[in-house]
Amino acid sequence: MSKSVATLIPKPTTIVRVRTETSNVRTYYVKLPKDVELPKPGQFNMLYVHGVGEVPISVSDVDHRTGVVAHTTKFTGSVTGTFTYLKEGDLIGFRGPYGKGWPMDSSVGKDVVLIAGGIGLPPLRPVVREVAKDRARYGRLIIIYGARTPKDLIYSYEYGDYEAIPNTELHLTVDNPDEGWRGNVGVVTDLIRQADVDPEDSIAMICGPEIMMRYAVKELLKRGFKANRVFLSLERRMKCGVGLCGHCQVGPYFVCKHGPVFPLWFISKYFWVDQI
Amino acid sequence: MGGNEGLRLLFDELQRLDYVIVGHKVVDGALRLERVNEFNELAVGVEDVQSPGRYSLVEGDFFRHGPDSPKKFLYPSELVLFKVSPDWSITSPDVKIDRTAFFGLKPCDLAAIKVLDRVLLNVDEFYTLYRENMAIIVENCTRPGNTCFCASMGTGPRARDSFDLAYTRLGDKLVMEAGSELGIRLLNALEVEPIDDVTYGDFVRVLNEAAEKARAGFEADNLPELLELKIASPVFREVAEKCLGCANCNMVCPTCFCFDVIDVPRVDGSAERVRVWDGCLNYTYAQVAGGHFRPDLWARYRHFVLHKFTYWMKQFGTYGCVGCGRCVTWCPVGIDLREAVLKLLRR
Repeated sequence: MSKSVATLIPKPTTIVRVRTETSNVRTYYVKLPKDVELPKPGQFNMLYVHGVGEVPISVSDVDHRTGVVAHTTKFTGSVTGTFTYLKEGDLIGFRGPYGKGWPMDSSVGKDVVLIAGGIGLPPLRPVVREVAKDRARYGRLIIIYGARTPKDLIYSYEYGDYEAIPNTELHLTVDNPDEGWRGNVGVVTDLIRQADVDPEDSIAMICGPEIMMRYAVKELLKRGFKANRVFLSLERRMKCGVGLCGHCQVGPYFVCKHGPVFPLWFISKYFWVDQI
Repeated sequence: MGGNEGLRLLFDELQRLDYVIVGHKVVDGALRLERVNEFNELAVGVEDVQSPGRYSLVEGDFFRHGPDSPKKFLYPSELVLFKVSPDWSITSPDVKIDRTAFFGLKPCDLAAIKVLDRVLLNVDEFYTLYRENMAIIVENCTRPGNTCFCASMGTGPRARDSFDLAYTRLGDKLVMEAGSELGIRLLNALEVEPIDDVTYGDFVRVLNEAAEKARAGFEADNLPELLELKIASPVFREVAEKCLGCANCNMVCPTCFCFDVIDVPRVDGSAERVRVWDGCLNYTYAQVAGGHFRPDLWARYRHFVLHKFTYWMKQFGTYGCVGCGRCVTWCPVGIDLREAVLKLLRR
């Protein structure tokens, strides 16, 4: 049996819980298979639906005690579309964890600025958990999150918990408000402009649609953030997760292996190139 | 030693050593790399005429290659990764590898194996197993074709290392060089004579002349940096105007290693996952559920060019292009990689 084959073989594991987040987003909690290390914030797993296909999904929560790992996914593609049929007790194929995660160690003692758009919040949630768990290790926590409509805001049931973390701010914005919305209207870039942050003493972590990340990065640079203080989680097509299939290349980098979280300075040569 | 007779002896000796032999056969008007049971099955008396978008076989006494490269065997176009039963028991098929001798590979294809080694050896176990049970008999290329540029890429027309045996046909003489212990064993079995000064002089002259015919008009030095500076060049758009996005270039490239994995559901409720070749010129290559990172052909073509000459060097410490010219020949609209690189360098 080939090793590339071996690394591409999933381990079946049980879905222990399914939680509906929005009309087209759900969270699948799966038991980590035996001998699999706990994912670190920002890493992803490859999830395989029997006979349908395999997709890279970021880890949105880890229960260190039970070894249950959460994956929040939107039903967008031909594989994630079939996730709607998966329920508690079903089996799913698991490979991972893969990739380089968020820079938790270099964030020690610094303010942590999280910037998320749409379905980009789930990969950042483990950072919120990490900061909450080890609160004294980090400076202020500033969460900036934008979605299309108030109904698209993921994890709204736990925003109160975020705000209850000492020294933490949560700023929300939506593109299209509904009648009950009392918060900000507009893009996350506006919130970055207004945020009370000290670029010299902060680490920014961004995840969202690439167009949103470009504007967010521009705004952070304008505010004086250095390229080694800005981190992005990139999305690309991935078939293997381990740097073999080629699809996820951004310039010479394999997003699955060298990322998905990159420091801006590392990819700055390619990040701005159209259709790289 | 006499040309054809010497090769027949070599072929027989490899069979005696229990090698399955893979060589060039004429199939449907093209040279194909296939398993060969008898020496007489090997292509003889033909020449491949190659030019951008054109390939044909005519009568002749020297040929280069066809669309197949050793990749066809080392990295099969379809490989079942695993089968999963309805109750989720997962089995992976046993891989059986024959001890294989590649017979008469040209130096460009030998170079392609060396490139794939950087990518796949000790990473892909199918490849690694194949590679460990493999012999390479290479034929130095005395007459490069119209789309060849191995001399520019530093991969030919003379093989320098990494072969078991290299031979060069000089008229009715055969010049042999051993490159391994197996090669020395083969030479001993063939009862060769030491080369004389006149023949050695011819050997060097013929291959030097061949090198002059296998140049693209650019040198490989500094190519990664020079081409990357052209990342925003309109040349990519101009060249890709003609491109159909068929990915033939990827499929015939002896080093392209990208793969897709497809699901094959069976009526009994089981399913297979199969690794298949994919290429960066395919429309879906950089497509994701929520969008597309390279919707335009020029961007996909740019990735092909920059991967071969720039990114590959950063990723694997070698060029991804060996100058075999297949992507030029087998492009249905004759897009010429050499011209594209020259245009990029000039502007």
